[in-house]
Amino acid sequence: MQAVVGSSTLVGVEAVGVEVQADVSNGLPSFTIVGLADTAVQEARDRVRSALRASGFDFPSRRVLVNLAPAPLKKRGTGFDLAIAASILLATEQIPRGCLEGARVVGELALDGTVRSIPGLLAHAVDAGLAGVRLIGPKAGTDAWVLASDADIRMLEHIRELASGGRQPERQPRDCIADPRVTRHAVDLCDVFGHEMPKRALELSAAGAHNLLMHGPPGSGKSLLARALCGVLPRTTEQERVESATVHSVAGLDERPLLAGGRPFRAPHHSCSTAGLVGGGSPLRPGEASLAHNGVLFLDEMNEFSPSSLQALRQPLEDKSITLVRADGSVTLPAAFVLVGAINPCPCGFLGDERHPCRCSEGQISKHRARIGGPLLDRFDLNVRVDRIDPDLLLSLRSAGECSDEYRFRAEAARDFAMRSRGELHIGLCGDDLLRACRLSGQAAKHLSDTATRTGMSGRGVTRVMRVARTIADLDASDVVRAEHVLESLAFRTASNV
Amino acid sequence: MTNMERWRLGPQDASYPEALRRSPRPPRVLHGMGDTTLLAGPGLAIVGSRKATPYGLQCAKRFARIAVGAGLVVVSGAAIGCDLAALQSAIDAGGKGIAVLGCGPDIDYPRRAAHLLSTLRTQGAVVAEADFGVPPLRWAFPERNRIIAALSCAVLVVEAALPSGTFSTADHALAAGRDVAAVPGSIFSPTSAGTNRLLRDGAIPITCDEDMVDMLAGWSASSDVSASSLSPASERRGRGAPHLSMCDPLSPEAHRAITAHPLRPEGLASFLGIPLTRALRILGELETCGLTSQGADGSYAAT
Repeated sequence: MQAVVGSSTLVGVEAVGVEVQADVSNGLPSFTIVGLADTAVQEARDRVRSALRASGFDFPSRRVLVNLAPAPLKKRGTGFDLAIAASILLATEQIPRGCLEGARVVGELALDGTVRSIPGLLAHAVDAGLAGVRLIGPKAGTDAWVLASDADIRMLEHIRELASGGRQPERQPRDCIADPRVTRHAVDLCDVFGHEMPKRALELSAAGAHNLLMHGPPGSGKSLLARALCGVLPRTTEQERVESATVHSVAGLDERPLLAGGRPFRAPHHSCSTAGLVGGGSPLRPGEASLAHNGVLFLDEMNEFSPSSLQALRQPLEDKSITLVRADGSVTLPAAFVLVGAINPCPCGFLGDERHPCRCSEGQISKHRARIGGPLLDRFDLNVRVDRIDPDLLLSLRSAGECSDEYRFRAEAARDFAMRSRGELHIGLCGDDLLRACRLSGQAAKHLSDTATRTGMSGRGVTRVMRVARTIADLDASDVVRAEHVLESLAFRTASNV
Repeated sequence: MTNMERWRLGPQDASYPEALRRSPRPPRVLHGMGDTTLLAGPGLAIVGSRKATPYGLQCAKRFARIAVGAGLVVVSGAAIGCDLAALQSAIDAGGKGIAVLGCGPDIDYPRRAAHLLSTLRTQGAVVAEADFGVPPLRWAFPERNRIIAALSCAVLVVEAALPSGTFSTADHALAAGRDVAAVPGSIFSPTSAGTNRLLRDGAIPITCDEDMVDMLAGWSASSDVSASSLSPASERRGRGAPHLSMCDPLSPEAHRAITAHPLRPEGLASFLGIPLTRALRILGELETCGLTSQGADGSYAAT
């Protein structure tokens, strides 16, 4: 007898529907799974057998063949356990036909029949919702996946509940997905004293999605400022939240802070491998760049990262996604993040510090600078110096400064203005498109060309200055990019701007 | 002796400079390329720190020009920073320069000096105690400083931190009976801490062009030299005042502030009591007019 049960599997960070077909026939007792199943899926045979017996079901002493279709798609992970068990139960008529009609079943089985959680449930739910089918999955887990998607979901704690089709979850309002303390941004700008220039840079970065490079001695607050950027970036849209949460779900991380609206902040150590940054492994695990999707990727001590790792970031910075080409096809992962880098100005870190002398030779300084290649430096529209705060100043500053919310409010207003007046954001624009978007005033154009000639700016350098000037003009609610916008933009340009 | 030829001079040679012969520990052999007559001087040594600020470079260039105008030869090491700036400025002003190296006179060290050194080998002189082909060795550099001092009538230190390699040149100068002069700098600037210390310990202060001219008067080949004839014409037009077309009324005050001491935008904003954005715009405009430049550490200095 045959039976078919729907299921789904992950490809990258998306789920695709698959079919689990069971064929129970006469012959020597055997249990075979076909369909390019990897080791974890093959181990399902033992899990399913024990789980069925422990739950009071019979495991047929006949020839059992299970096919995971489409056959050429490589199947990984333990998520098929429940579907395989269900297909066998249907084929042997131990559960009524039609109770799983049209639904997709996912979940891992414990030996006693308990249904266990698997990574990426949110992705499965999102795809089921798109396909308009019911998803039957495990009760365990954070349940955030249930609330995030609009799919019709049923949950099982034990395989015995299959016959009833699972329980409907309680739908709570989205707002109580996460503990507010979890989503409260780690750093609020009103807790950061001084640093007016870096704060302005954060505002510009948030308003125009510009990548930001911070230079400064150790302990000057670069990491703090990078964290603060998450709270200054505009509020997430529903789609952005689900996207980021899905990536986290596939990686096996808690999705709740993202569903509640927090932007991801990823700060890999500089010993991180290239695969760790862009993703890889089998089964495919998203890298830091994808986990930072719709958030901030912070590379502290950027010049300590291996050159090959930094090279690997060029694709996501350009395309907002990462394509990994593998033997069984290519997979595309989302990776639209704001890149924040931090570097020490020299090996000892104290070049330019007013109190601490720098002990590095010129040769050491140039070699230090050269570690970050030109192409990656080109990606940073904003450069800012972060200095250590004078301790006396720290203790004397009474006014707290503005909160992150106020900066964010202005950044959102700037983006709204851009959409209203031009219909698009100028993120990543260059060439004629950028020129048209900028609408430089005569004086602005003159300032730009004067400085470009005087300092020997390259075309890319001029493009960066114009992009930032356009953002400054948006913050100023000005249709036209005026002279003062260009003048301010010059302060944030790359130092070695050749 | 003609230009691209290499020469080795010993104390017995006629061309061996008298000043060098009479100095303590004259080199037994002086190797060189270029015009040997320049060795007779009169020369002014201009030295300063490698990690020069725009201020130090400006001073080196300015005083090299004045020295050339007074008919002196500019003597220096070829180190990056103030040394190179002084020698280049001397050439640009149509004068002569002597580079004293810590390696063979035919070696280009540091690499950034290559172009200047090749110019000096034909139009000036490049000398060293080390033989041709000898690579740069660390201990040779303090030693070459004594030759710099000996070949000059006086040593001018334009910028030096504490500690500084230029102090060895100053010490050698004193040992050889040469005057040591120094340009003061901001007391808050670590890059002038060394020069200010020299002044405290008795070096001749050079606070303006006239000071330099006065000091050189004794050795100047040409008489009738005045400061005004030596300053470039562009500077005589209202020294460094911003163009009147600046849009912000605080621009001149901002320019004065960064002339006194390089400032970061936040520092300028709090000094003038204006919002950061306005300070950035003022600095941007000063930059487009060439009146300031952004340093690697984010500070703005007057150029």
